[in-house]
Amino acid sequence: MSQRRDFFRTAGALALGATAVSRVGAASLPEAVYQTSPTMQPPLVPPNGRPYNPVATLNGWSLPWRMNNGVKEFHLVAEPVVREMAPGMKAKLWGYNGSSPGPTIEAVEGDRVRIFVTNKLPEHTAVHWHGVLLPNGMDGVGGLTQPQIAPGKTFVYEFTLLRPGTHMYHPHADEMTQMAMGMMGMFIIHPKDVRQMRVDRDFVFLLAAYDIEPGAATPKTAEMTDFNLWTWNSRVFPGIDPLVCRTGDRVRVRVGNLTMTNHPIHMHGPHFVVTGTDGGWVPPSARWPEVTTDVAVGQMRAFEFDAIAGDWAIHCHKSHHTMNAMGHDVPNMIGVDHKGVAERIAKLVPDYMVMGDKGMAEMGSMEMPLPDNTLPMMTGTGPFGPLEMGGMFSVVKVRDDVARGSYKDPGWFKHPQGSVAYEYTGEVPAPTRADAPKPDAKTLDVRKPTGGHEGHH
Amino acid sequence: MNHTLPRRVPAGARLTVAASAAVILLAGCASFSPDGGMGAVSELTRERTGQRVSLQRSPDQADTVSARVAELLKAPLTADGAVELALLNNRGLQASFSQLGVAEADLVQAGRMRNPVFSFGRLAAAGVVEIERAIMFDVLSLVTMPMARKAQQRQFEQSQFQAAYEAVGVASDTRRAYFNAVASQELVRYFQQVKDAADASSELARRMLAAGNFNKLAQMREQSFQADATAGLARAQQQALADRERLTRLLGLSGDQLCFTLPERLPDLPEAPTEPKDAEQTALDKRLDVLMAKRGTEATAKSLGLTRATRFVNALHVGYQNKSETDSPRANGYELELELPLFDFGSVRSRRAEAAYMQAVHRTAEVALNARSEVRESYGAYRTAYELARHYRDEVVPLRKRISEENLLRYNGMLIGVFELLADSREQVRSVTEYVQALRDFWVAETNLQTALTGRSPAASAASSMTPATGAEAPAGH
Repeated sequence: MSQRRDFFRTAGALALGATAVSRVGAASLPEAVYQTSPTMQPPLVPPNGRPYNPVATLNGWSLPWRMNNGVKEFHLVAEPVVREMAPGMKAKLWGYNGSSPGPTIEAVEGDRVRIFVTNKLPEHTAVHWHGVLLPNGMDGVGGLTQPQIAPGKTFVYEFTLLRPGTHMYHPHADEMTQMAMGMMGMFIIHPKDVRQMRVDRDFVFLLAAYDIEPGAATPKTAEMTDFNLWTWNSRVFPGIDPLVCRTGDRVRVRVGNLTMTNHPIHMHGPHFVVTGTDGGWVPPSARWPEVTTDVAVGQMRAFEFDAIAGDWAIHCHKSHHTMNAMGHDVPNMIGVDHKGVAERIAKLVPDYMVMGDKGMAEMGSMEMPLPDNTLPMMTGTGPFGPLEMGGMFSVVKVRDDVARGSYKDPGWFKHPQGSVAYEYTGEVPAPTRADAPKPDAKTLDVRKPTGGHEGHH
Repeated sequence: MNHTLPRRVPAGARLTVAASAAVILLAGCASFSPDGGMGAVSELTRERTGQRVSLQRSPDQADTVSARVAELLKAPLTADGAVELALLNNRGLQASFSQLGVAEADLVQAGRMRNPVFSFGRLAAAGVVEIERAIMFDVLSLVTMPMARKAQQRQFEQSQFQAAYEAVGVASDTRRAYFNAVASQELVRYFQQVKDAADASSELARRMLAAGNFNKLAQMREQSFQADATAGLARAQQQALADRERLTRLLGLSGDQLCFTLPERLPDLPEAPTEPKDAEQTALDKRLDVLMAKRGTEATAKSLGLTRATRFVNALHVGYQNKSETDSPRANGYELELELPLFDFGSVRSRRAEAAYMQAVHRTAEVALNARSEVRESYGAYRTAYELARHYRDEVVPLRKRISEENLLRYNGMLIGVFELLADSREQVRSVTEYVQALRDFWVAETNLQTALTGRSPAASAASSMTPATGAEAPAGH
């Protein structure tokens, strides 16, 4: 108990000291590294400190640090950023060091880290180290455990990393706005022993949802449920990097969920096991073999698999999460005869085209002008045609010949002879089957209860 | 109508020589003008409307007019063409031109001496017959004749102003009716487009219901747009009919002429609004109601002077008389009759004339005051109408068009559905109808301004002819 109290006292003193340092001058601050490119940067091989196997942040990067008397010093700058969500659309977000999400912070179990946070936002902020066990006064809940970081101010967080695992960081001050604006990042604590939980490739990404009016660029921060852009690291397909692997690689995928709904992340091809949760590594005996793992709100999941050659889709299994901005009030036109009417409409609305009367698949292939800064609701083209996907979708690209440490997109998979589904060209006899139910008057009429509950099943 | 003046008066009357000399002198001016005063009317009208007017009296003139009317009706009418047509063909206007002939007749009448009075008396008693003959001339009227003639001349000029005033009224009413008719005909086309959009929505909604994709509520909502659009179109068509008929009446057309065509669109908005210089002064100098009021006041002033001059004398008659009696020689002599101002010193007449004069002065002031105010008001209305029409042309319509383009982009991205697209197309058409209305209001305001500047009160319609503000009496009459 007394030890804990001492611990807190020390922490407070350090925080005070850091504030004093920042007053002395910028020279004592570690350099704030900026990165604005939306393509994946090579994993950051640790130049000093304890060794670890770095992660690959999809469409992102890891934050370099400075060693200062055995303490790893990072510098995060909270600020407005412009993030390309996919080619053709840029969003005005808030992030850290030039990007949203902010850079991944990587450190090793037992490391002491000192994280300087400079606020360049128009309002105060605070950083909560989600899932990291640390002194209460470093937990970053504005008002509860610390004063908020006013605009223009720099605060220092300093703590020792006690347990390896997958974590996140995000504001805990006006978080409804700040997270809706894209303020978040991954915080990876590697095991002290590099051999422990070792994998060949370790991908990380954060799930975030935005509501950006088609043609606009700034998210509507008051939205609670009706988001229209479902992102991985603030990117949507086809803007999300592929997960490039070499056949036989042991691959880990770490996912953090900072949206307001759960996401069943489903991967085609190799089965995986969930090896990490919010609490850390799952003992081998308790690991679940899965092909879909649900990442609930505020959770982190890590799963691992052995890569098998192919182009394997990986996506959220909520089908509207693999779409980009789309109208939620658009009437269903399937099966509606447009004969005669379409011509009349075209007279009034030049350039009008009938859409949706056969379904929406044509949206994947049609290239029609859209409002500025808007992505088609489904897009992307594969070797066999339109992919009809958007949002939370990517491809695990496993090849035999990918060099170790290379994440370069190898292109489309070359299927071995006879391993692609093909068209049957023989005769198709009419199948004998019972009459299908046909719509009748009742299909169109609202069924009214007739007294009791006979109509219910 | 070809009056010949009496060149001879009964001989032997000494006084009649002087009288006849005066009559002959006056007779030179007291004749009818070849154009019946229409030349001046035409010029007054031309200055204000750009079109001449004429009174159609002979069949030749009527033929020329109908030829010109036919020519004007060949092509779609322009605003100026419509005015020309109305000035040629409006029967009410021709009727008011005929009034000019009445005024001229009065003028000619005033230039002629009153007919002499001949009296004859026969008395018979006890076989004696006495016959008295006398011829009497109204000498006073001869003395006042120049003044009376001047008064009648002013009256005649007033009639010319009045005729021009009517013509300007018809011209301005025609322009207004023309712009209304063209606009409402143009609006029918746009209401048809609104209905087309609503029809398409409704039809599609019906098919959506049939396919099971819409419920009845959604389908009926689209159907109700169609029902409203149908009503809107019917109203627009009726309005177009009414506006065209109003124009037809002003143009005085009937029969085959009813097939006349109007241009599809209103004239474009001018590059810049006109900025009349000294607008109020122009109105005071040019407006026919102001001119008429001024002349009326002058006339009353003159007649007041005349009344004062003749206040003591009501009648002076001079005459030749003879008497023949059975078995007696004929007796010749003369007779002089003068009313003695014993009881009536003419003060009543004088006061009446003074009051009439003051009335005319105040009326004139009022007309001038109103004219200036109307010029300011109609200029304000003109500028507002111009700015509004330009706002619709440069802002509202292009904005709605851009909105529609954005909506189509959103439709392309399946962000909105076809019904929103159609609703938007109805809105876009509606913005165009608002522009047409604003443009029509501009042209009407422009007509009103021109009318207020040079013609008459723009508020008064052609039907209500303005009473000239003069209480002038004809002093020569009894």
